[in-house]
Amino acid sequence: MALLKFAVAGVAAALALTACGQGSATKEAAAPEGKSVVRYMNFSSNDGHEKDLTAIVNAFQTANPNITVQVETVPYADYFTKLQTSVAGGNAADAFELNYENFVTYAKNGSLAELKDVDGSVYKKSLYDAFNADGKQYGVPESFSNVVLFYNKALFKKAGVAEPTAEWTWKDEQAAAAKLTDKGAKVWGDYQPVSYNEFYKVLAQNGGEFLNADRTEATFNSPEGVEAAKFLIDKVGKSMPTEADGAGTPDFDSKLFKSGKLAMWHTGIWMFSAMADAPFEWDVVVEPGNTKKASAMFVNGLVVSAASKNAEAAQKWITFLASSDETTKTRLASSWELPPVADEAKLAPYLEQPKPANREAVFAALEETVLPPVIERQQEMQDLVTQELTSAAAGRKPVEKALADAQTKVNGLLKK
Amino acid sequence: MNGVTVEARATAAGPVRDLPTTPKRPRRRPGQWKRLGWVLFFLLPSAIPLFVFTLIPMVSSLWVSLHQWNLISPMKWVGFGNYANLLGDEMTRRVFLHTLIYVVGYLPLVYVGGLLLALALNQKLKGRSFLRATYFLPVVTSWVVVALVWKWLLNPTNGLVNQVLGAIGLPEPGWWTDPQWALPAVMLSSAWKDLGFVMVILLAGLQAIPGELHEAAMVDGSSPWQRFWRVTLPLLSPSTFFVVVISLINGFQVFDQVYVMTAGGPAGSSQVVVGQIYDLTFRYGRAGEASALSWILFAVILLITVVQIRGQRRWVHYA
Amino acid sequence: MRDTRSLPARLALYAAVLVGAAIMLFPFLWTVITSITPEGSLADGPKLVVDDPTLNAYRTLLDAIPMWRIMLNSLGIAIASTVLQLVTGAMAAYGFARLQFPLKNVVFGFYLATLMVPLQVLVVPLFIEMKTLNLQDTYFALLAPTIASAFGVFLLRQAVTAVPLELDEAATIDGAGHLRIFTTIVLPLIRPALATVAVFAFMGSWNSFLWPLVVIRSPEFMTLPLGLSTLQGQFTTQWDVVMAGSVVSIVPIAVVYLLAQRHIIAGVAHTGIK
Repeated sequence: MALLKFAVAGVAAALALTACGQGSATKEAAAPEGKSVVRYMNFSSNDGHEKDLTAIVNAFQTANPNITVQVETVPYADYFTKLQTSVAGGNAADAFELNYENFVTYAKNGSLAELKDVDGSVYKKSLYDAFNADGKQYGVPESFSNVVLFYNKALFKKAGVAEPTAEWTWKDEQAAAAKLTDKGAKVWGDYQPVSYNEFYKVLAQNGGEFLNADRTEATFNSPEGVEAAKFLIDKVGKSMPTEADGAGTPDFDSKLFKSGKLAMWHTGIWMFSAMADAPFEWDVVVEPGNTKKASAMFVNGLVVSAASKNAEAAQKWITFLASSDETTKTRLASSWELPPVADEAKLAPYLEQPKPANREAVFAALEETVLPPVIERQQEMQDLVTQELTSAAAGRKPVEKALADAQTKVNGLLKK
Repeated sequence: MNGVTVEARATAAGPVRDLPTTPKRPRRRPGQWKRLGWVLFFLLPSAIPLFVFTLIPMVSSLWVSLHQWNLISPMKWVGFGNYANLLGDEMTRRVFLHTLIYVVGYLPLVYVGGLLLALALNQKLKGRSFLRATYFLPVVTSWVVVALVWKWLLNPTNGLVNQVLGAIGLPEPGWWTDPQWALPAVMLSSAWKDLGFVMVILLAGLQAIPGELHEAAMVDGSSPWQRFWRVTLPLLSPSTFFVVVISLINGFQVFDQVYVMTAGGPAGSSQVVVGQIYDLTFRYGRAGEASALSWILFAVILLITVVQIRGQRRWVHYA
Repeated sequence: MRDTRSLPARLALYAAVLVGAAIMLFPFLWTVITSITPEGSLADGPKLVVDDPTLNAYRTLLDAIPMWRIMLNSLGIAIASTVLQLVTGAMAAYGFARLQFPLKNVVFGFYLATLMVPLQVLVVPLFIEMKTLNLQDTYFALLAPTIASAFGVFLLRQAVTAVPLELDEAATIDGAGHLRIFTTIVLPLIRPALATVAVFAFMGSWNSFLWPLVVIRSPEFMTLPLGLSTLQGQFTTQWDVVMAGSVVSIVPIAVVYLLAQRHIIAGVAHTGIK
């Protein structure tokens, strides 16, 4: 009966596990008298900045001995699955992180607590206002980053092409990309994904509008839109690798650039640290525009759950995490996106770091930025715009038809 | 543990060998309550957890399917509106069609492949255990890795598969970059990964076939081919039945491999039902429709399974 | 079974099986190779020779996540779930194969039905249920959905059905009740099926991702797939580390399979039934 004995032992083990599991579930509720526990869920510290976040938490707890912050870190890819389920179960963390694109959905659905008496003056105004919905402040900006044009100096030199400048337009970029591409040596001139995120930006660079002023109708199927989409799509296979070359697989572009096989790369400043040890000279410049300049900017914000029983303590924590000097220092020292503070003097240490030399471009790009167009059914819109554009890029549809179809579908989403 | 079971087996098998074809003794009819007691004793340990942790959530999802719900705000009653919308939506037809194509392509591949493998590895071969373990390895390898490898193998321009096809003068498909070929690419890699699963089940089935039957057939002078059709395949039918039923249930719920290989693309050409359910629930905030879609899927799978269970008498031979 | 094949046929079979095995082994080898390649990347395509092999990725892995704790959690849950599924599954299989009761097919239908609704749509209701029972974020919550599985019940039922009824009847004559028939006759004879279910139960629990993601929030309950998922950043991924994690996660299941394989092979071929 060894089998049976084994089974009994297994069941006993399972029950023991259960017992200790419950033990620790009851533990969390028991916060000491007068102390409050703030649960904070985030994605941005995952894979590299966990220690930086811990440092900020410790600084906050030292300043606020009555509050304990319990950090839950979830990778970005799974973050929203977990967040939605916990909101559905009435079990959301007291405070959590939301990127700007998703903020509107949560604010409009009553999942967020309105913040009281926030000092908005410490933040860059445009960033602060981004977390205002229907006249109520539902969040504070936590950090931001933007997109610039990375370029490989060695490849430019080798091909005898003048390096990009802030005055470049699309035409200069196209001409340089054509000269820099050397398919025999598997060197590509340019990399800019065909996607929603790139499209709304080039649309803005071409003077087009994605949505009308009151966000009730899509307006990107315009002559400007068609020209912008063609600018993106024409690169594919000519100066930019196709899907079959590997484009779109994880980390393809960063490996390509780092191995010295990519001359120009449209990507975010979050790549600075990953490229720091690239074995060649590289620099960045504000992205070229067409009729005007427009750089993509991505903002993360911090919010308090509407269901939180510790809203006051939670707000204290997110304000600290967003704007304290401790945070600003930690972020700048570890290149963990940029702090959203209004006082630019505090950002000075960022410019002093080596590589890339032209860090001023990061701030220059902020002068003319474009935020992602946001609607309540954001993810669906992003997916279908990307899908139509990739169809056109693969030659399955003319660009004009793809944009018209995308616009009809986006309008459908806006009506529902 | 080994010794004990061998002993048990000996005592179990001992008396039977000399047992003449006993006329079926009418069983004692114990009280009905006692019989019910035994039924509960054997079934409740599985029935209770399945009821509490699967059936209750299933019923809740049926309730959700009658609402509009984005998970983060209160549910709104819409009755059968979600079902009506889905049944009228061209997207629903597309994802079901893709799923059906996948299942129809995948099942024969994986069954025939797994059967051949089980037969081959049931032979006395040197290093048989090692070989069986090797064929099982893909079953336990994560889809993320398998997908990356297969995308590389099926790369339209320089993948190994197309190089071989080109060398023998066959057309070179665009595989996962081509809407026509994205599903076959997924089928191929799924069948490859699941070969070991089918092999293990069928091996266990082959082991259960008493050697005497084969020997008896050999004495009759039948060829290996005849023995396969007359002895092996019929006696393997309970395992085959299991493989087919489970592969269809799982096949209609194909998701992971599609998600990591093509994410439903290009241009939605490989989007399957559960892919759509996942997107609707967790990305598009349309949990009500997702639940309704999964109940439509449930109805389809149930129908197919019932047909198989009804039809099993014709071809499944139990001992 | 005696082998009657000719030598060329045997060689051909060998060659085919070996080529197949090489194809099967390839992704795993690639995983191992990438994990010991400095800054290894899957974007480059596979290399079979590593210039400077290093175990750095494995060291990074140990630094990045509390590996031992996570492994222990996963192992504990997987073993508990395997044992429970074997016990509950074998009992139910006996019930369905050997006992007569009204609506048996309907009850079995309900069992199978639990396999027919995708997990993706059950996760949210199940989470709300766990929250209501105040069981979220516990080991029990991780284990709960895998205490019993209709897959196991079905596979074992097929196996019990294949056990000749005459054995039961003989035992009944000897005065054995259901419990004795179950433990002394049926269980030993369905060992290959039990081993098969054990492999899949272990694997199912070991690889489970969506449910632990949703129900667990304390790091101390984290399981291996959750831990490995944190290695992928929003913008970049260290593939050598991810692949090292992948190797670490494959090895235990491979061991479980090797242990179970002996039982799958040691079948009932020599019991002399019929």
